[in-house]
Amino acid sequence: MSPFRYLFIKEFKQFMSNPFMPMVLVLLPLLLMLLVPLAANMEVREIKLTVVDRDCSALSARLVDRISKSGYFRAGPSCMTYPQAMEKMRKGEADIILEIPYGMEKALESGKDMEIYIAANAVNSTKGSIGGGYLSSIVSDFSAELSGREGHDASVPLKIVPQYRYNPHLDYRLFMVPALMIVVIILVGGFFPTLSIVSEKENGTIEQINVSPVRKRDFILSKVLFYGILGVFAFTLAILIAHFVYGLASHGGLAEIYVGAMIFLVFMAGFGLMISNYSETMLQAVFMMLFFVLIFMLMSGIFTPVSSMETWSQYVTYALPTRYFVNILRAVCLKGSQFSDLAFDYAMLSGFAVVINVLAVVTYRKQR
Amino acid sequence: MIDKGDNVIEVRNLTKKFGDFTAVDNITFEVHKGEIFGFLGANGAGKTTAMKMLTGLSFPTSGEGKVAGFDVWTQSELIKKHIGYMSQKFALYGDLTVKDNLDIFAGIYGVPPRQSGKRIAELLDRLSLAGERDTLVRDLPQGWKQKLAFSVAIVHKPEIMFLDEPTGGVDPSARRQFWELIYEAVDEGITAFVTTHYMDEAEYCGRISMMVDGRIDALDSPSALKRKYGAASVAEVFEILARGAKRQD
Repeated sequence: MSPFRYLFIKEFKQFMSNPFMPMVLVLLPLLLMLLVPLAANMEVREIKLTVVDRDCSALSARLVDRISKSGYFRAGPSCMTYPQAMEKMRKGEADIILEIPYGMEKALESGKDMEIYIAANAVNSTKGSIGGGYLSSIVSDFSAELSGREGHDASVPLKIVPQYRYNPHLDYRLFMVPALMIVVIILVGGFFPTLSIVSEKENGTIEQINVSPVRKRDFILSKVLFYGILGVFAFTLAILIAHFVYGLASHGGLAEIYVGAMIFLVFMAGFGLMISNYSETMLQAVFMMLFFVLIFMLMSGIFTPVSSMETWSQYVTYALPTRYFVNILRAVCLKGSQFSDLAFDYAMLSGFAVVINVLAVVTYRKQR
Repeated sequence: MIDKGDNVIEVRNLTKKFGDFTAVDNITFEVHKGEIFGFLGANGAGKTTAMKMLTGLSFPTSGEGKVAGFDVWTQSELIKKHIGYMSQKFALYGDLTVKDNLDIFAGIYGVPPRQSGKRIAELLDRLSLAGERDTLVRDLPQGWKQKLAFSVAIVHKPEIMFLDEPTGGVDPSARRQFWELIYEAVDEGITAFVTTHYMDEAEYCGRISMMVDGRIDALDSPSALKRKYGAASVAEVFEILARGAKRQD
């Protein structure tokens, strides 16, 4: 048996000797995948609406009724004046103000144009902009109906019919669940090997390894391989939850997903090991890892699409291996892409994985 | 296997500096095959630093050294194949069993599985650890941990064993037993390089060197040193030498 086999067995026995680590390995994907999609829902509902109805006509009442039936808004009591409504918004009791001008019904009957005023609180920018969007589309639907019914065919406004491909219901969970699967890989694949080497440093056991003839690449590879397998295990848990709990059926093959995940795990392990080569203590390693993990998570299109970033930062994302894995996972899951469609992403990801692991071996110094 | 006479360690003007601080100052000595070489000195005299250079854990700042015939600058990984090392700070895997630790290090040193089983059983027997083979190492008492660390250092029958304060923190009777283990290993043909700050242990060594402030101020057999300095014990010799010491504990 080669020294590598012994090192690998050693990792396994050490991991199993402390029930805490296997527990983390199971609980982390479980909790992350089960709790976060329920809590961190970005769908906008329950928008607090305040109507300033200066018209007080049958038509304005119909409009308000129509809005509250849409299900997105919760209409509070109407206000008489706009300043009163603003006061409510200041207190946080209103997200959106809809002002119906005096004489709307009359003006419309006589074929004149009227302007309806919408003010949205954009402190919570998502709620503000999405709510404003919903409201204006309801109002324009309403006006289209009116003009249609009253025979002004020519003035029927052009209706924009958005067609959302691949996620037709715009279900936020379909976006969130793959993102969390990536987070699981980053956390398990990155932190476990980092902590394992740094704890060898803190316990002094690395000295007994360094004074032995073991080859650096055997030592590093034993960690990459072992923690890579743990990562695949955690990822599999995440996939099972995605499938059975959220009904996320991948449009693409599992092979594409797993190959991507494995390459990415090799990268994360190598990256963590390199960090631990430069850290003397657990604290140092954790902070350094956290710094990079946050960049990986926030800048690779996991939660916010790369295409909506600033141009300069879009270029930066090419230097983040996470970007390629995020691409692969989304494309395979949502579009059913295959290896050939994603050759560039696989190639870049593999390149990063190889380079970082070579660096991890080179920066590991047995003799100082 | 040794290129020059019967020396297993040859050191010329070896120096290690950390910034302005010279931990090991221009030391020169040889260790003969099969002897017990005592590397004595007060705490902080530079014993461990010197040993780390000889075991390929640390690069010298200047000077030359050969261990088992290999150069400390360029062939440290070859040196590591031929030596065993017992750290001053316990450095085995506390979360694994006694048997696991021995298995792993025998495997890392490339002992063939068939031999390693026999060797490990024999070592456990000799160290009276046979009853503890499945005990987690962290649950062992200090003295037993040290015996285990010692057996890990010799599981692959190295040419030289480097023992850094092997008896630190152990009671006197256990210390004597420990030295018996060292003698047994030397009988197997392993050369012993032992650091200690217990001067009474110097009497167990064939030759001793005395380190003061990073320098080797005296090197000879214990009896020759006592004669030379007109002292009754090695401790007295050390006191005479240490008077000039500037470093405090």
